[in-house]
Amino acid sequence: MADGNSNHGNSNQADLPCSSPVDLSVTLGRLQLKNPVLVASGTFGYAREMESLVDLSRLGGILPKTITAEPRAGNAPWRTVETASGMLNAIGLDNDGIEAFLANHLPYLASLDSSLIVSIAGRTQQEFVSLLAQLSEQEAIDGVELNISCPNVSGGVDFGTDPALCERLVTVCRQACCLPIIAKLTPNVTSIPQMAKAAEAGGCDVISLINTCQGMAIDWRRRRPLLGNVMGGLSGPAIKPIALRAVYQAAQATRTPIIGIGGIATLDDVMEFFVAGASAVQLGTVNFYNPAGSMTILDGLPAALAEAGASRVADVVGTLETR
Amino acid sequence: MLANGKIRLTVAYLVKPNFPMTNFSTHNPLAAAHYADAARQYAVTVQENVPLARDTYRLRLHCPDLACQILPGQFLMVRLAGSDDPMLGRPFALYDTVLGPTGRPVGIDVVYLVIGKMTGRLAQCEPGSRLTLWGPLGNGFSTEPVEHLVMVAGGIGQTPFLALGRQFTGQRVYGQRRRSESPAARVTLCYGVRSESYLAGVSEFQQAGIEVRISSDDGSVGRHGLVTEVLEEVLAEPPAATQSSSPPPTLRAIACCGPEPMLQSVARMAHQHQVPCQVSLETPMACGIGICFSCVVRVVQPDGSWDYKRTCVDGPVFDAEKIAWE
Repeated sequence: MADGNSNHGNSNQADLPCSSPVDLSVTLGRLQLKNPVLVASGTFGYAREMESLVDLSRLGGILPKTITAEPRAGNAPWRTVETASGMLNAIGLDNDGIEAFLANHLPYLASLDSSLIVSIAGRTQQEFVSLLAQLSEQEAIDGVELNISCPNVSGGVDFGTDPALCERLVTVCRQACCLPIIAKLTPNVTSIPQMAKAAEAGGCDVISLINTCQGMAIDWRRRRPLLGNVMGGLSGPAIKPIALRAVYQAAQATRTPIIGIGGIATLDDVMEFFVAGASAVQLGTVNFYNPAGSMTILDGLPAALAEAGASRVADVVGTLETR
Repeated sequence: MLANGKIRLTVAYLVKPNFPMTNFSTHNPLAAAHYADAARQYAVTVQENVPLARDTYRLRLHCPDLACQILPGQFLMVRLAGSDDPMLGRPFALYDTVLGPTGRPVGIDVVYLVIGKMTGRLAQCEPGSRLTLWGPLGNGFSTEPVEHLVMVAGGIGQTPFLALGRQFTGQRVYGQRRRSESPAARVTLCYGVRSESYLAGVSEFQQAGIEVRISSDDGSVGRHGLVTEVLEEVLAEPPAATQSSSPPPTLRAIACCGPEPMLQSVARMAHQHQVPCQVSLETPMACGIGICFSCVVRVVQPDGSWDYKRTCVDGPVFDAEKIAWE
């Protein structure tokens, strides 16, 4: 990593215009992070791709691309389409499986000075359990995120839309390993509070939301869908209001710490999610179109918290006044 | 890899054992030929934005850091600064580097065709406009010595070939590479366009010592027909009029960029003529750095099956024999 590279922004907080020191560290149940800015699974590859664009050690946490028990080729192209202020994707959990992840990616991820949260997906409860059994042997892993919300695969999605299945899965996963567990929820449900309560009842340490919103793009002249998978998941600034609403509802319905995800691209976005009830955030699509965006947000975060009169992140979490 | 649900594809071509592509590292943990290990994000200023042909512009950007590193066949992602519409960056191939007074590269030229929202807005950029870019990205073309390099371009697919041609004529050096000790004896560009009005940069190619052979769909310029017909003529000729004193082991190689049906035809012809062929692919791309897994293409694996590979980090330049064409 080149020293003094301007891409990495200003990590020297002494230069920032804040009078009192701000503590950026956050505690989410059993999960301790040095700061609340994480990068979302599926939007950061396996981190190594970003090492020349981002100072990875500054991130509060890294979530590599979701892994499954077996390798998955993913969906046929086109896999992404840009839409108004956002994009649709239907990648289909393209990954080489857990064995390849442990052999090829974990050693590098383990060498980084940033918390490592591994995102996993399974079609069955048993697949989740066996993935957790393999991951819990790895000292370098600080937590797991259960991806029960990917809209682009068949199988496993019911865990994110059926409250009883969600609760049972989280319970079983909690029993299967001692790592902190994050349940990542989908917005494609009738009731966010119901799903958040189910994940909480199952014993998750953290709830993260939202995954992408199901959507479509069509070429009317050819009468064809633009995505190879016909439907996909919408992400980017277009879904930020939906995500803010979901975070707010989940925070009202549960006492479980929340990680906000969905169209977060600027420091203002991050602060809005804190106020809505998130204790941390994951940056997703912004990594695609502003690869160094996470660094800019981290540069400005202490000053923004200070402006809000906060000496630590928890001081602003859930401080929304609705009347 | 058949056990993992990936479909076996019968490969009709036999892969030639002496194919001179660079043997990229096989132990890269990303399972990619390259990744964006030199890429940086830059805020840059537009120096020039001039029309070259119908709907075709050359954009000149001041970015010495990138200009010193980027290689022919590599690309950069470009985005309008301070605007989220369009949201995603767009990939553009290196057209050429711009040298400063001391002879060191200080700028980047890209050439683009106005086809959508981003290129439409780029065309309106005045000198002094601010853009965000990140690069260098992708692998670039092979630099293996060759007696006769044949570059085949369909329309705006000509953009990677000025730099590649200049490298092979020995006129320019890119990145940290040393000047080629054995330039090609002959460099040819077979350039197919819809009509004469779209023909861009021909004099620049000719000044670089590149022989330009043109075809057009409407017969308004060059041969009335497909660029593959021009290529067929070129392949029927001897590689070079006067061979170099110690000709490299590869007499002729093809580098190709353009619409996929053209790439496929050129790959088939190259195979029939036993000429090694590299294709530079254009696939819809969101990030350019390997993190989104959008820009995949079917690449033949050692066991004969295929797997989706990312064009941005495994390519965009591939051995034509390795693509499992749809």
